[in-house]
Amino acid sequence: MNSQVLKSTSINRDAYLTGLLNLVSRVTPPQPSPPAGRGPERVLEGWLEELEGWLEGLRDRSSAILLEETFPSTKDEAWRFTDLSPLLQVTFQLPETSNVASIPSSEITPLIFSEAADSRLVFVNGVYAPQLSSVAGLPVGVFAGNLTALPENYRSSIPNYLGKQHGATEVFTALNTAGLTDAAVVWVSKNQVIETPIHLLFISTLSDSPTISQPRCLVVAETNSQVTLIEDYLTISDWCADKSHPYFVNTVTEIWAQENAQINHSRIQRNSNVAFHIGKTAISQARHSRYTCNAINLGGKISRHNLEVYQTGQETETTLNGLTMIAGEQLADTHSALILNHPHSTSRQLQKNIARDRSHVVFNGRVFVAKAAQLTDAGQLNRNLLLSPKARIDTKPQLEIIADNVKCSHGATVSQLDDEEVFYLQSRGLDKVSAYNLLVDAFAAEILNQIPLNSVGIMLSQCIACRTI
Amino acid sequence: MSATVKTLVNQPYKYGFVTDIESDTIPRGLSEDVVRLISAKKNEPEFMLEFRLKAYRQWLKMTEPTWPQVKYPPINYQDIIYYSAPKQKPKKLNSLDEVDPTLLEAFEKLGISLSEQKRLSNVAVDAIFDSVSVATTFKEKLAKEGVIFCSISEALREHPELIQKYLGSVVPIADNFYAALNSAVFSDGSFVYIPKNTRCPMELSTYFRINTGDSGQFERTLIIAEEGSQVSYLEGCTAPMFDTNQLHAAVVELVALDNAEIKYSTVQNWYAGDENGKGGIYNFVTKRGLCQGVNSKISWTQVETGSAITWKYPSCVLVGDNSVGEFYSVALTNHKQQADTGTKMIHIGKNTRSTIISKGISAGKSQNSYRGLVKIGPKANGARNYSQCDSMLIGDNAQANTFPYIQVQNNTGKVEHEASTSKIGEDQLFYFSQRGISLEDAISMMISGFCKDVFNQLPMEFAVEADRLLSLKLEGSVG
Repeated sequence: MNSQVLKSTSINRDAYLTGLLNLVSRVTPPQPSPPAGRGPERVLEGWLEELEGWLEGLRDRSSAILLEETFPSTKDEAWRFTDLSPLLQVTFQLPETSNVASIPSSEITPLIFSEAADSRLVFVNGVYAPQLSSVAGLPVGVFAGNLTALPENYRSSIPNYLGKQHGATEVFTALNTAGLTDAAVVWVSKNQVIETPIHLLFISTLSDSPTISQPRCLVVAETNSQVTLIEDYLTISDWCADKSHPYFVNTVTEIWAQENAQINHSRIQRNSNVAFHIGKTAISQARHSRYTCNAINLGGKISRHNLEVYQTGQETETTLNGLTMIAGEQLADTHSALILNHPHSTSRQLQKNIARDRSHVVFNGRVFVAKAAQLTDAGQLNRNLLLSPKARIDTKPQLEIIADNVKCSHGATVSQLDDEEVFYLQSRGLDKVSAYNLLVDAFAAEILNQIPLNSVGIMLSQCIACRTI
Repeated sequence: MSATVKTLVNQPYKYGFVTDIESDTIPRGLSEDVVRLISAKKNEPEFMLEFRLKAYRQWLKMTEPTWPQVKYPPINYQDIIYYSAPKQKPKKLNSLDEVDPTLLEAFEKLGISLSEQKRLSNVAVDAIFDSVSVATTFKEKLAKEGVIFCSISEALREHPELIQKYLGSVVPIADNFYAALNSAVFSDGSFVYIPKNTRCPMELSTYFRINTGDSGQFERTLIIAEEGSQVSYLEGCTAPMFDTNQLHAAVVELVALDNAEIKYSTVQNWYAGDENGKGGIYNFVTKRGLCQGVNSKISWTQVETGSAITWKYPSCVLVGDNSVGEFYSVALTNHKQQADTGTKMIHIGKNTRSTIISKGISAGKSQNSYRGLVKIGPKANGARNYSQCDSMLIGDNAQANTFPYIQVQNNTGKVEHEASTSKIGEDQLFYFSQRGISLEDAISMMISGFCKDVFNQLPMEFAVEADRLLSLKLEGSVG
């Protein structure tokens, strides 16, 4: 591994970025997955050709954008508190595609949520694993699968959605697009209410060398539809200490909520502590749509979540719940942006952060209310819990308001656990450690309780419990 | 709301006159020679010239900050007059009677009476006209208590040891672009020294006046409060109306030793440009207070109503244990004014406390940003901060932004921040009119209610003035 670790001083950031670009753009065209549609074989081949041609153009455009960009440093406002130099010290490789086949389904079983047992898509290192996925439990009216298996009636609209969200020129988003060959696609047809939650499982495996994987996800909820999604990033065999090569997960999720659509989206990031995780979630909300995000950040050596909501019609509702809980030497950064351009919308954001040991939490919550967005009601609250003397929090709730007839507020607090609360619990016979854990659990529960799937909530509380003192 | 409110805000700027006075002005431009010339004109000691040259050389290496939320055409630093002073009689002035009567008249017109007999209120004034201090009142009375209150040039001649010790100790010469520029070319300013265990017997005040067009004003204020002392200091500023933009880059340094307390109040009313944004002062100011001693306290109060662009972050560095920093601010922008202002509270010592109350009012097409930093260092056990920033928008072309940075590196600290944005509600106005109160009165009452937390911190005379200033400024803007 030492041969791959270079001194950061000797690394030119631009050269590093170009290196990454060259690596990810060494793509293999998507292979047809097992028959998904009933269409004749040649129709499928025609689609694959068309898709590949279109994707190539998309990749080329992104590569061109990327060549103009520079790798971010702490001198950039958006990366001021998140130093990516540890990333620069690693030379990544593309993961072995054979890994996909080698995962026994027994490894997957414990990761399945009972509510979404037969409505899951599994991607291993960014590559679709049909043998591990199961969509048998999904009703008609919704498609969940990879790009190549997309039903015929949706194919022509793909160019209107994939890679079309705002902020596509941001460095890591462009890097993802530059290597884009396949994506997880969830497409809900008009007027369909999908009660079965859909579980998108993105697994990273550890291998003999540092690897980069770039999962991609596209969600389209057509007019009057409803859907619940669980986007889940994790690592398997992260308990093997000897295989602790760093790996880099660079995700992009594009979500389109059309008129009056309703999306409940939970994003769980529990990569192992050697991972670099950079994720983008970009949402477009049309008139009367409702979007809820529950973003849970637990893993990663350095993790970053860019959550961007763009309003494209009036009277939208947006709820952003976030929980970051890290320890050790972890760094977790959440940058959320809510861009309101139309009147009468409501938004609520609650971001909770817990930092212990020597960990470092960064939060930047931007709310932009344009002149046209009169009668907006936007609320934001950021609460931080610092549990050890060496932990650190940098937070910046940011309001930019041009419309005058609006109600906007934000608040931020940083503190430790209240001594009186701990004392009260001790007076009831709890020992100090249990009292602490109970209070931390309760702090986290406010967010975890928002997740619509019971089993996910239970899994996460266990996750958090095993991380408490 | 109707057009009445709009007409309410558009009060003409009444301090926009120019005083015709013969002045000693050096040619435009900046170079090492200009720095030497300024230093020579002021007969400064050698160390001062070195200080200036060092700053100038640093400045050459620095670039203008681009992060503030303000827009302006690039400034040509070679097109500014760096020194302009009313022509003085060769000998030193013995009393106020010898000050040029035109000057006294000018200050009289501004409402600042420099003749001591006429002064009713208990305020000592240092009047600064363009680049130099023209008069300081009540000097003798202050000297009896051991308080030194004079212009910084005079202090350089008479108390060089104090200047050498403290100048640049709070704001280092290379602190930022404008501070470096100021360190190189500053012309004059006020110097205050309060000896041990002394409570300054009266309010101290400096009045800044820019008169020459195209000249920059670069003043420097240094206040030192020795152990157990207390002082309250006020600052006011106006400038004539010119169509060109003028640069004002000041540096203020405060040092509070053990148990000392400094209260610094500003009513800033530089010319703000006309309603189309033509002319006005660029107010790029670095103000910082150092709570060096234990239990020391520094309190900033500012009412910012003028300037085309304001870029100003009065800060407190809380080094001493149990020290306290406070920041109370009202920033009002109208027409095309832009303000990017706020504070920094740097907690270093144990049990340090800070409070931030910021009220922003933006009307017309203006832009008003609060930018603040609360930093709790790793050793600042038990530090506490409370911040509140409220914005009020008048009209839908105004913009209000908040950029609060909170950085906490100690888990015993407690930080709270809240911010809100609102407008004057129709229902509130209706309530007033139902009680027989006119629209204008209602609005001005609501605004002074909105700003009350800050005005309460101002010394009496200033509070009244500030309240009046706000209602005048807003005249005609609410609609």
